[in-house]
Amino acid sequence: MKFEARLARLEAIAQQLESGELELSRALALFEEGVEQLRAAADELAKAETRVQQLAERASGTFDVIERE
Amino acid sequence: MTPRRASRGAEEPDLDLFAPEPPPPPAPAPRAQKQRRPASQPERADSYPGETAQSAVTVSMLSQAARDVIEGAFIPLWVRGEVSDFKAHRNGHWYFCLRDRTAQIKCVVWSRDQRRVPASPDDGMQVVAFGRLSVYAARGEMQFTVLRIEAEGDGLRRKALERTRARLEADGLLAPERKRPLPRFPRVIAVVTSLDGAALHDIVAVLRRRAANVRLVVVPAKVQGDSAVLELCAALDRVNRWGKADLVIVGRGGGGREDLWAFNDERVARAVAACDVPTISAVGHEVDISICDLVADVRAPTPSAAAEAATRSHAELQGELRKLSLRMSSSARALVRRRADELRHLERDVAAASTELVQRSRRDLQDVAARLHALSPVATLARGYAVACDDHGATLSDVAAFRDEMPFDLVVRDGVVPSRVRRRSTDSEAT
Repeated sequence: MKFEARLARLEAIAQQLESGELELSRALALFEEGVEQLRAAADELAKAETRVQQLAERASGTFDVIERE
Repeated sequence: MTPRRASRGAEEPDLDLFAPEPPPPPAPAPRAQKQRRPASQPERADSYPGETAQSAVTVSMLSQAARDVIEGAFIPLWVRGEVSDFKAHRNGHWYFCLRDRTAQIKCVVWSRDQRRVPASPDDGMQVVAFGRLSVYAARGEMQFTVLRIEAEGDGLRRKALERTRARLEADGLLAPERKRPLPRFPRVIAVVTSLDGAALHDIVAVLRRRAANVRLVVVPAKVQGDSAVLELCAALDRVNRWGKADLVIVGRGGGGREDLWAFNDERVARAVAACDVPTISAVGHEVDISICDLVADVRAPTPSAAAEAATRSHAELQGELRKLSLRMSSSARALVRRRADELRHLERDVAAASTELVQRSRRDLQDVAARLHALSPVATLARGYAVACDDHGATLSDVAAFRDEMPFDLVVRDGVVPSRVRRRSTDSEAT
């Protein structure tokens, strides 16, 4: 799952919980899922890195992406 | 002079305004040119062409000689004057006059030279024009072949900008509703700029500082000079064909007006508009607003600002996660608390309801007891009445139930009195 999708899911979970119109068991399940998503998102964030590359086009019209320092 | 004329003839596009050039005549020259005549031509001290009626030169020869003299006498130079009678001919060339109060000269801008001129000049414009003086033999006129024009107050550039802007506007490319929102978390950012420019350096520095989780893919293009427009267009097109970018930043660092000019080119603007993914334009410094800026989805004042607008920092994202976590836990806690409260209320309700039930039952019981009491013969007996019963306990309520000498029980308030019928009469009579 992409970070963006995780954030969107977390937002949805928070909103549902905030609406307060949930069965207790459903709320608990959502909360558990939220905690899981939070952990995954934080892990992803910890691994974040900026890569710099360069696009090169071959004569055939296909593309190469070359790493730069 | 002859080779120069030949080469010039070759560059000159065919013009319907211009008569075909005559074949180069033998080069006659007025006296002034004598010393410039090649040594191979024998000097004729006694006579020269046109000295006598018999040796009259042709018009072509004269005109050609005048042209050689004029072209030889002037190197290309800047001329100041006011534009009049401007005409963009359908052959693609521009014709006009440059004049001041006492003189005028006819000017031409060949179509191939027009790309160095931001826009065609308007009549009445004060300009300086760079070019070379020549003779247009077919008309017997002096002609100034213009290579560059600059108007006072940067009028031509302003005009070019306005024109380009109007054309883009007419095509709806500047409409606010065309602006696309930037992706919140682009994974791949294409940067169309030059490899050795400050822009790339600044963008990379910002992304590294923010520890943004992105792949920056540079798509190199010259950003100034003659090839810049085409290279920028090609690079933008390449990004589209590659198809893996989430966002495009196009731009360059600050520079002179001339250096930034490619970003005012209509072709570059249209290439930016044609991008499949959202675009950020970052051209020069804060004050420089280019046509490219107007077309892009977002205009950043500098390349660094573009990098900041495109990405979100590590710290910012951590803050966002923290906020979400807080929202989730507090709302979950509130939810549980609310459920517990509801349960407590319910309990109280049940208790209240059961108490009421008992009380009601008690009340009902009392009612029933009271009514029972009222109906009971015991109460009647208490008031002094008595009831006669046979030995089976059945009530003897009619005279007919009694026979002479029959024993019966008389029930009174505090006990039973064994009794006997003495004698029956027609009137009911009991003792």
